[in-house]
Amino acid sequence: MAARAPVSPPAASGRLLLGLRKWYYSMSGFNKVGLMRDDIIHEDGDVQEAIRRLPEDVYNDRMFRVKRALDLSMKQQILPKSQWTKYEEDVPYLTPYLEEVIRERKEMEEWMKK
Amino acid sequence: MKGIRGISQLSSRLYAAQAARKVEAEHVNLHPQDVQVTKLPSGLVIASLDNHSPASKIGVLVKAGCRYETPDNLGVTHLLRLASNLTTKGASAFKICRGVEAVGGSLSVTSTRENMIYSVDCLRDDIDTVMEYLINVTTAPDFRPWEVSGLTYRVKMDKAQAAHTTQIGVVEGLHEAAYKNALCNSLYCPNHMVGNVQSDHLHHFVQHNFTSSRMALVGLGVDHSILTQVGEQFLNIRSGAGAVGAKAQYRGGEIRMPSTGGLVHSMVVSEGAATGDNDALSFGVLQHLLGAGPQVKRGSNSTSKLCQGVAKATSDPFDVSAFNVSYSDSGLFGVYTISQPTASGEVIKAAVNQVKTVADGGVTAADLTGAKAQLKAQFLMSLETSEGLFEAIGTQALASGSYCSAEEISKNIDNVSLTDVANAAKKFVSGKKTMASSGKLVNIPFVDEL
Repeated sequence: MAARAPVSPPAASGRLLLGLRKWYYSMSGFNKVGLMRDDIIHEDGDVQEAIRRLPEDVYNDRMFRVKRALDLSMKQQILPKSQWTKYEEDVPYLTPYLEEVIRERKEMEEWMKK
Repeated sequence: MKGIRGISQLSSRLYAAQAARKVEAEHVNLHPQDVQVTKLPSGLVIASLDNHSPASKIGVLVKAGCRYETPDNLGVTHLLRLASNLTTKGASAFKICRGVEAVGGSLSVTSTRENMIYSVDCLRDDIDTVMEYLINVTTAPDFRPWEVSGLTYRVKMDKAQAAHTTQIGVVEGLHEAAYKNALCNSLYCPNHMVGNVQSDHLHHFVQHNFTSSRMALVGLGVDHSILTQVGEQFLNIRSGAGAVGAKAQYRGGEIRMPSTGGLVHSMVVSEGAATGDNDALSFGVLQHLLGAGPQVKRGSNSTSKLCQGVAKATSDPFDVSAFNVSYSDSGLFGVYTISQPTASGEVIKAAVNQVKTVADGGVTAADLTGAKAQLKAQFLMSLETSEGLFEAIGTQALASGSYCSAEEISKNIDNVSLTDVANAAKKFVSGKKTMASSGKLVNIPFVDEL
């Protein structure tokens, strides 16, 4: 649909893209059990190190959301609509730490190559 | 024909002679240099000595020792001492470690009660590389929370190793008992703060104490102009005097640390001289007069007055020496005894009485010359190593902004007279005493019984 739309001024296409992103976000469904995008990132070595570096309060919030989601999945329920994670509230809290971990690992690999 | 051949031979000989002279002229003469000290308008002091050595030693000294810790961040200097290899804004921890290793250098931190000394050793050609890491570590550390909490096990290791040496425990206990503030802070993190010193404490301490006017940039084997350039460009991050350190207040207390160890260590001191005082050198001479360790390895230390005095009081093995330490605004002077638990009381009393006899004038001129020679020798020999020389230049530059040459100091030592030494001993005898003891304390007198 977006591809067939005519070329519109930048402000309007920005709003179109935003609307598309919000729709895609609600289609993904994890916000209906109260999770954020960074809660469900696949835990490989880098991600585990980044989680280890989280400050204590952010880590506790993450654990709470994961436990709540597991509990809901066991009961085959979802949260009432007022408690769904909103698109604006979804903060990528883990991404800065994850980027730092990856940067450090790459630096170490560069050095080892020499 | 012969004549012409002779001329051509003559000219070739002359060329050869000219070539030889040119090689001689290229030989470079290296002149011995003096210590150069510059003070920048920001307050930073730059001192260097170009000793033409192939290895250089550069350091940043900061007036940020453990005396500047406040009651809510005790132990932060211990963490800082261990945090020198952590990530900075310009380089990650991994890069600092590998970068310094790659040029064959070394980065180390020493901290005393008054100063923190960050120093790098490297070859002369690699100064730029290691200087960059040194500047990063001293001016822009990151103190990432997870890296700081990773230091806790190293703090515990340090404390466990210090606990094995009784001398460290007694000296730390002595300072705790002798002063009300500042100098009573221990070099090691107190037990209640292990694991509780956070990244914020470190940041706060660095912000308030690592200011330009409290720093000195010192180099051995570097050009003075290079150091001045680096100091002007990079070490101007924080200006101002930062948090003002409190003046140390001597209180004269007592601390007893019972343990099941075999020997009893005990120190009795009273307030001595600060480093800038007139009688600082008198206390030094008095220390060597009384006996500051054996001059012959594994010898019997028979010339030490303290040893002679204590030998009359007991036949059990013992060791006694005079203890002298000076800080910028105070000092401690006294005796350190190591004895068997059964004879400890007599040993301490005999040692203190021996100092009293010196105060009452029981010193000959020969003793005095001997003591002065020992003090001079110890001082001059400490300047022989690059570490000793670096420390001497650095602490003087930081404390007073100038450097007193070894000749000047030797002359000052020579000017100490018999009355100066006797007055110093009287100051010990009449001053309020502090006592620290460790071991089986059954026979140790209390400080008011001395």
